[in-house]
Amino acid sequence: MTQAVQTVALGVLIGGVYALMAAGLTLVFGIMGIVNVAQGAFLVLVAMLTWKAWQVTGIDPILLALATTPLMFGVGWVLYRLVVVRVRASSPAMSMLLTFGIALTIEGLLNVTAGNYFRSATPPYFAQSFTIGSVVLPKAQVYGFLAALLVLGLLYLVLNRTWTGRAIRATAQNPSGAALVGISASTVAALSFAIGAATAGTGGSILAVLYPFFPASHYDWIAKLLGIIVLGGMGSLRGAWVGALILGLAETITATYGSPRWSTVVFYAVILLVLIVRPHGLFGTRLREDAVA
Amino acid sequence: MRWGAAVVLAALVAFPFVVPDATYEHTVMLLAFLVAIQAISWNIISGFAGYISLGHSVFLGIGAYTAGILSVEWDVNPLVLAPLSGVVAVVVALFVGSVVLRAKGPAFVIITIAMLLSFQVLAVNLPAVTNGSDGITLELPTWGRDVGNIPFYFMFLGLMVLAFGFSAWIRRTKFGTGLVAIREDEGKAAAIGIPTTLYKSLAYAASAFFVGVAGAVYAYFLTFLNPLGAFNILSSVTIVLAALVGGKGTLWGPVVGAFVVSFAGEAATVYGGGSQSRLLVFGLALVVIVLFLPDGLLPAVRRLFAKRHEVEHTDHTAARRPVTIVTRAPAEPRTDPLLEVRNARKAFGGLTAVDGVSLTVPTGSVTALIGPNGSGKTTLFNLVTGTGGAHTGEIRFDGERIDGLAPWARAHRGIGRTFQLTRLFKGMTVLENVVAPLAAFSPAVLASGAVTGHEADRARELLDLVGLGRFGAEPAGSLSYGQQKLVELAQVMVLQPRLVLLDEPAGGVHPDLVDRITGIVRAGAEQGITFLVVEHDIPLVLDLCDPVFVLDRGKVIASGPPGAIREDPAVLGAYLGEVSG
Repeated sequence: MTQAVQTVALGVLIGGVYALMAAGLTLVFGIMGIVNVAQGAFLVLVAMLTWKAWQVTGIDPILLALATTPLMFGVGWVLYRLVVVRVRASSPAMSMLLTFGIALTIEGLLNVTAGNYFRSATPPYFAQSFTIGSVVLPKAQVYGFLAALLVLGLLYLVLNRTWTGRAIRATAQNPSGAALVGISASTVAALSFAIGAATAGTGGSILAVLYPFFPASHYDWIAKLLGIIVLGGMGSLRGAWVGALILGLAETITATYGSPRWSTVVFYAVILLVLIVRPHGLFGTRLREDAVA
Repeated sequence: MRWGAAVVLAALVAFPFVVPDATYEHTVMLLAFLVAIQAISWNIISGFAGYISLGHSVFLGIGAYTAGILSVEWDVNPLVLAPLSGVVAVVVALFVGSVVLRAKGPAFVIITIAMLLSFQVLAVNLPAVTNGSDGITLELPTWGRDVGNIPFYFMFLGLMVLAFGFSAWIRRTKFGTGLVAIREDEGKAAAIGIPTTLYKSLAYAASAFFVGVAGAVYAYFLTFLNPLGAFNILSSVTIVLAALVGGKGTLWGPVVGAFVVSFAGEAATVYGGGSQSRLLVFGLALVVIVLFLPDGLLPAVRRLFAKRHEVEHTDHTAARRPVTIVTRAPAEPRTDPLLEVRNARKAFGGLTAVDGVSLTVPTGSVTALIGPNGSGKTTLFNLVTGTGGAHTGEIRFDGERIDGLAPWARAHRGIGRTFQLTRLFKGMTVLENVVAPLAAFSPAVLASGAVTGHEADRARELLDLVGLGRFGAEPAGSLSYGQQKLVELAQVMVLQPRLVLLDEPAGGVHPDLVDRITGIVRAGAEQGITFLVVEHDIPLVLDLCDPVFVLDRGKVIASGPPGAIREDPAVLGAYLGEVSG
C-alpha cells in the first residue's frame, strides 16, 4: 500500500514538471500551428546555463529560474521576430524543419562549448527527502513540482484573467476575427512563442537539478513532450496536463513494478493505444477546414 | 536530364575500374549512395505525400538488425537476408502508419522521432535478442582484402538505381498523383474518392523498403551493430537535409542533394575540426535552407533557366464537340429518395450548427438548401460527404446507411461535391485536376498510369463541356475564380456521380459563367443526376430548383416547391430579421 501511494505521489510530482514543459509546446502549436521541435533544446540549454551559474555563484538552481525564465522569454521573442516569423506562411512541415534545425544548432553549440558529458546540479538538499508517514518524497522533486505549479498557475491567470490572455486565446480560436477587433496577430504570435520559451526557462532550471543532462539529451526530452501533446490532443492545454500526468505515472509505475528501462516504451505503447481509439488524442478536436464566409 | 544522368551513371560504374586502389574515395562514394537511397525513399512519403519523417533512418536500423540477428542465428550471409530486411521494414511501417496516419497533421512527424528513439531503447533492452549495448558482430566479407569496398560500392550503387526507378515509377502512377493530391489538399483528395489513409500508409511502407534492404548491406559493410549507431538521429537529419537541399518532391532532387550533403559533410569533418562540428554545420544548414532555399537547389536552378512561360492553349482548334455526361443513374425513373437525412445533429463546442435536420432529396431532382449565413448549410454538406466528423442521426444514400463511411467511400458510391471556396490542386494543371478523382478503387488502380489516353480524352470532353477545353495545360491556380468553379464541376463529373452537392456555385462568379454553370446543372439533371444546391442567389434558386429546403439556426424551417417558399412568412422572417410567427 505504502509503495502504491509512494509510486502515485512521485508520478504526480514528475507529471507536474512535465506539464509545465509541455504547456509551452502545446500553447505555441494551438496559436500558431507550429510544432516547436527546439523546445527540448531550449530545456537543455537552460539546464546548462543554470548549472554554470550555480557552479559560479552557488545560488540555488531552482531559484535561478527567476532569471532564466525572463531570459528565455526574451530569447523566444527575438527568435520569433528574426527567424520563425519567416516561415509563418509556409507549410507546418517547413516550420518543423526550421525548429529542428534550431535544435541541432543549439546541440552543436553546446557540444563545442560545453563538451559532451553528463552534468547535474546538486544543491545541498539534492539527496534529502521529506518523510510523510512512511512515504518518502525527494526534496528536489517537491521543490521542482512546486516551482512548476507556480508557473503553470501564473500562465493560467495570464491566459484567463488578462486582456493579453484573452487576445491570445481569441487568436487561437479565430485569427481573422481577432484581427478585426484590433488584436495584432504578429504581436500575439511573438508573445506566445516567447511564453512557450519562458516555460522552458523554468523547466530547464528544474531539469538541471532533477535529471542529469548532456547536449544530446534534448532528443529524449522533445520526444517525451511531443508524446505528451500527441496523447493529450495537439493544441489542448488541458490535454497537455493530462498527458503529462499519464507520462509521470507511467514512468513511476513501470519503474516500481517493472523496470525503469521500459518506462519510455510503455509510454509510447500507451500513446499508440490511445491513437487507435482516438486518432486525434484525448482532447484533440477536428475543426472545420473549409472557410466560412 | 536523362542523358546527363546516363553519363554520370556510366562514370560511377567505371570509377572503381579506373582507380581500383582508392579505397577512401570508394568509401566516401558508397556512403553517398547510401544517403541517396534513403533520401529517394524518404521523398515518397515526405516529398510526394508531404508527410515529413524525421526519424527515417529507423528503417536502416531495423533492416540492419534483422540481417544481423538472423545471419548469426541461421548462420547465413547477411546479404541473403537483405530482401527480408526490406520486408520487415515495410511491415513495421505499415503497422505504425495505419495507426498514426489516420489523423492529419503533425502527429506523424512526432511519432517518427519517437519511433527512432523507441527502437534504440528496444535494441538496448532486449539483450537476449540484440545483445544489448554490446552489439552484434557479423562475419567478415567473404571476398579478399584486395578488392576493398568495391563490392559494397556496386551493391549500394545498384540499390540506388533500383530505388530511383521505384520512386520514378510511383510518381507516374495513379498512386503517385494521389499522393501529390494529398500533399496539396488532403480533405479535397478524400472528397474526390482518394482513400487517403490507405495511400499514406502505403507510401510510408514504400518509403521503408529500400532503406530496410540497404540496412542489411550496411550491417555487412560495418560488420558491427550497436543500438546507438544503428538508430542514429544524425543519419535521419542527413536524409532530410539531402532531400531538402536537392528539392523535396522532385524526382532528382534527393539524389543531387545526397551527393552535395555527403561531400559537404565529409569536407566539414576533414577540414572543419572533426565530427563535433558536423552537427552544428548541419543544424545551421537546415535553418538556412528552410529560410532561403525552401524549394531546394534543382527547382531554383530550373527557374533560373526557365524561359518566360508562354500560354499554350491546347485544343484551341478543337470544335465544341457534342458531349455526353456519363452517369450511373438507373435507366428507369424512380420515386424513392436518393438522399435521406434523418434527425442529423452536429455541435461545435456549445454551438449546435445542425440541430435535428431531416430532409429528403428526391431522385432526379435539383433540390435547394437555402438559409442565412451560419444556418448550418455547409456543415450539413460536410455530414453528407463525411468530412464533418462525428454527429448523431442517420444519413442514407439510395437506401444504404452511409454515415459511418469514410469520405472516399461515399465518393465511390456516387456522391460528389464542390466547395464554397474552390479547392483545386493549384500546383497541378487543369487537366491533371480533372483526371485526379477516383470513381472507384481497386488495388489495380494504384499501379495504373497517372493519365491514361482514355481518361485524358474523357477529361478533355468534360473541360469542353464546361467551356474550358483550351486551358487543359494551364496551372489550375492561374484561372479566374469562376473558371476554377467550372473546373471543380468537371472534376466532380469524372466521379460519374449520382448526387452532386454544389456549395454556392454562383457565389462570386461572373454572370456569364453563372449561366454556363446553371446550363450544366440542367443538362446533368436531364441525364439523371440529382443535385443538392446551397446558394444565396434566391431568384436563381427559385428558378432552378424544386423542392427547396430552408435552414435557420440549424433547423429546417420550411420546405416545398419554390412558389410556396417565396410566400412563406417564416422564410421572410429568417432572411429579413422579422419576428417569425
